[in-house]
Amino acid sequence: MKIRTLKQTILTFSIFLLSLNLFAQQRITTTDTHIRFFSSTPAEDIESNNFASTGTLNPQTGEVAFSVPMQSFEFEKSLMQRHFNQRRFLHTSEHPIAQLVGKVENFDNVDLSKNGLYDVTVIGEMTIKGETNSFKEPGTIKVENGKITANTKFFITLADYGITFSRGKPSSNIADKVEVTVLAEFAK
Amino acid sequence: MNKRKKILRIAAIVVVAGLLIGAGIAYYMYNLPHRDVQSTPTDYKLTVSELVSEYITDMETANKKYLAEDGNSKILEVTGVVLRSRTNMNNQRVIVLQNNEDPAGVNATLTQLASEQTPELQAGQQITVKGVIRSGVYYDENLGMFINANIDNAAIIQ
Repeated sequence: MKIRTLKQTILTFSIFLLSLNLFAQQRITTTDTHIRFFSSTPAEDIESNNFASTGTLNPQTGEVAFSVPMQSFEFEKSLMQRHFNQRRFLHTSEHPIAQLVGKVENFDNVDLSKNGLYDVTVIGEMTIKGETNSFKEPGTIKVENGKITANTKFFITLADYGITFSRGKPSSNIADKVEVTVLAEFAK
Repeated sequence: MNKRKKILRIAAIVVVAGLLIGAGIAYYMYNLPHRDVQSTPTDYKLTVSELVSEYITDMETANKKYLAEDGNSKILEVTGVVLRSRTNMNNQRVIVLQNNEDPAGVNATLTQLASEQTPELQAGQQITVKGVIRSGVYYDENLGMFINANIDNAAIIQ
């Protein structure tokens, strides 16, 4: 009888440990995201917002990944939105998802169990319109009562992703470099 | 002399009229409103499970069928079971529809109006949502999970 109880205890305890371990390796997922494009030229400012991206964060390693549905980018002007989706711009019917895959370089400095604001560097790769480029950009991670907010802002060169316009109105109205802001809230 | 003046005057009127019409068209195009998804006829009526399985079976074919090159993609009426609902960073309500047996479902982002008008939904409730498809279901290696299809400009119609 006693042996049985001990066995049960060991079994329960090992299941408990196993589940802890599984939990520890699990990535945190969020759809609370905001990705914004901003282009500024003397002719006009163009802004576009996306609230439909999915992101993951591995709280052990600091690895992050985002899946961005390109047709979910919304513009104030419908004509701009149409241009954005078209073949010569982002060709979203052929490349409906953009990807951002990276790792927080100095993740050891970040303590997710304690409130605080941390300056970090994210290195990784971004794939837009089927073209992949590496990046290394600064960002912040804010921990507040169990809520983790990741934020980064950087510039991308459109030509790196095969988006070029040599003539016509777009070349004067869209900047060569576009500002990208990524904001994501993870609940632990 | 008189005749020449007359011709010049007509030419000037034609040029000015042309410029005005051109400017008018440009202005109209620039301010063209977004498509009103809710008052546009539906292209496909299907269940959430059908949409998920179409994408998992052959993503390329499904993308060709549903996504338009100018971004005005197909308008769907999808019927499924509510998994949960939440509010996104733009203060719009997002209803997640997913069948228990399926690995993924549909995120339906409601219009601002529908976000305000839609009452609280219960998990397990069956509803039909009309909206425009933005992306399909797929397994993402980098995120290590299935990504739901996205539908926006949506409203609950049943």
